[in-house]
Amino acid sequence: MGRKTIRSKQTDRLLAVMLKEPLAWQHGYALMKQTGLQSGTLYPILLRLSDQDLLEAQWRQADAPGKPPRHVYRLTTAGLAFAREETVPASRTSDALLGARA
Amino acid sequence: METLRRRTAKALMRHVAQIMPSKDWGTAMQNEVEAIEDDRVALRWAMGCVAAGYRERMNTMLQTWYFRSALACLIVLLALREFFAPLLIFAYRMEYLGLAHFLGLRTAGDDYRRLIPVMDATPFWVVALWAVAGLLYLVALWQMLRRTGASYMLFLLGSGLDLAGVLAIRSVEASTGIIVEPIPMIRLAGFVLTFSVAFVLWRMTWKPTPAAS
Repeated sequence: MGRKTIRSKQTDRLLAVMLKEPLAWQHGYALMKQTGLQSGTLYPILLRLSDQDLLEAQWRQADAPGKPPRHVYRLTTAGLAFAREETVPASRTSDALLGARA
Repeated sequence: METLRRRTAKALMRHVAQIMPSKDWGTAMQNEVEAIEDDRVALRWAMGCVAAGYRERMNTMLQTWYFRSALACLIVLLALREFFAPLLIFAYRMEYLGLAHFLGLRTAGDDYRRLIPVMDATPFWVVALWAVAGLLYLVALWQMLRRTGASYMLFLLGSGLDLAGVLAIRSVEASTGIIVEPIPMIRLAGFVLTFSVAFVLWRMTWKPTPAAS
């Protein structure tokens, strides 16, 4: 059973950041820097979004040699629609992209 | 040469990878710390991940059948504790002395007769408070098992009635000079346990605002 997504300020902040570049895959650390959220807040939100199929995650090889692969994240089509409802102003920029991905 | 902060961060992340219910996410969090150049930031990241890991672990554990069964047993025991005093007073007043003796063996001092002045002086409404508290615990248990309603609210209400009863009985204890529970820590431990159960029930029945459908 998937967990429900919480309408918290932190979730809104994360969604707003991810809406800025809806097609880009982003690392957890990059998301932390952009949102200002701590890892203890960020990961539970990512987990919940992923459980609800609002977020997709992928493994990517690290850029630097010798470093382990990293998880990257981006919103799914459903996630973009959800984010658009959550953060209305930012959604305007992603309307065209939503249509393109649907 | 790695700094102490970096080594601590890595050790914490190894721990996170072990406690996370999803190994994939645990590894993802562990690997992420390798990409953080600043040791101070890496350590803070790792500490946050530990908190997130335990939170996820607890959320998963709360939904397991064995945890729910253990909690159910605990709630039944707490309910029985609430029914104990009313039943003992009832048995004594109705002169079911065999039952009173049987129950009295479970009181502090193994003999209910020392409590006779307290039982005589205890008002009916205090007895009723405890009985209702026990019933509320059982209803909360039923709600928890059926995963319906906010069981923690019923349980908290029961706890409140229990507390009111205990506070009321203190005046009876003062007037009779008999202390029902000679070791105050036992009473305190009972309250800590009760409110811990209420907290766990709250976590289990916590329903955040649904996502957009």
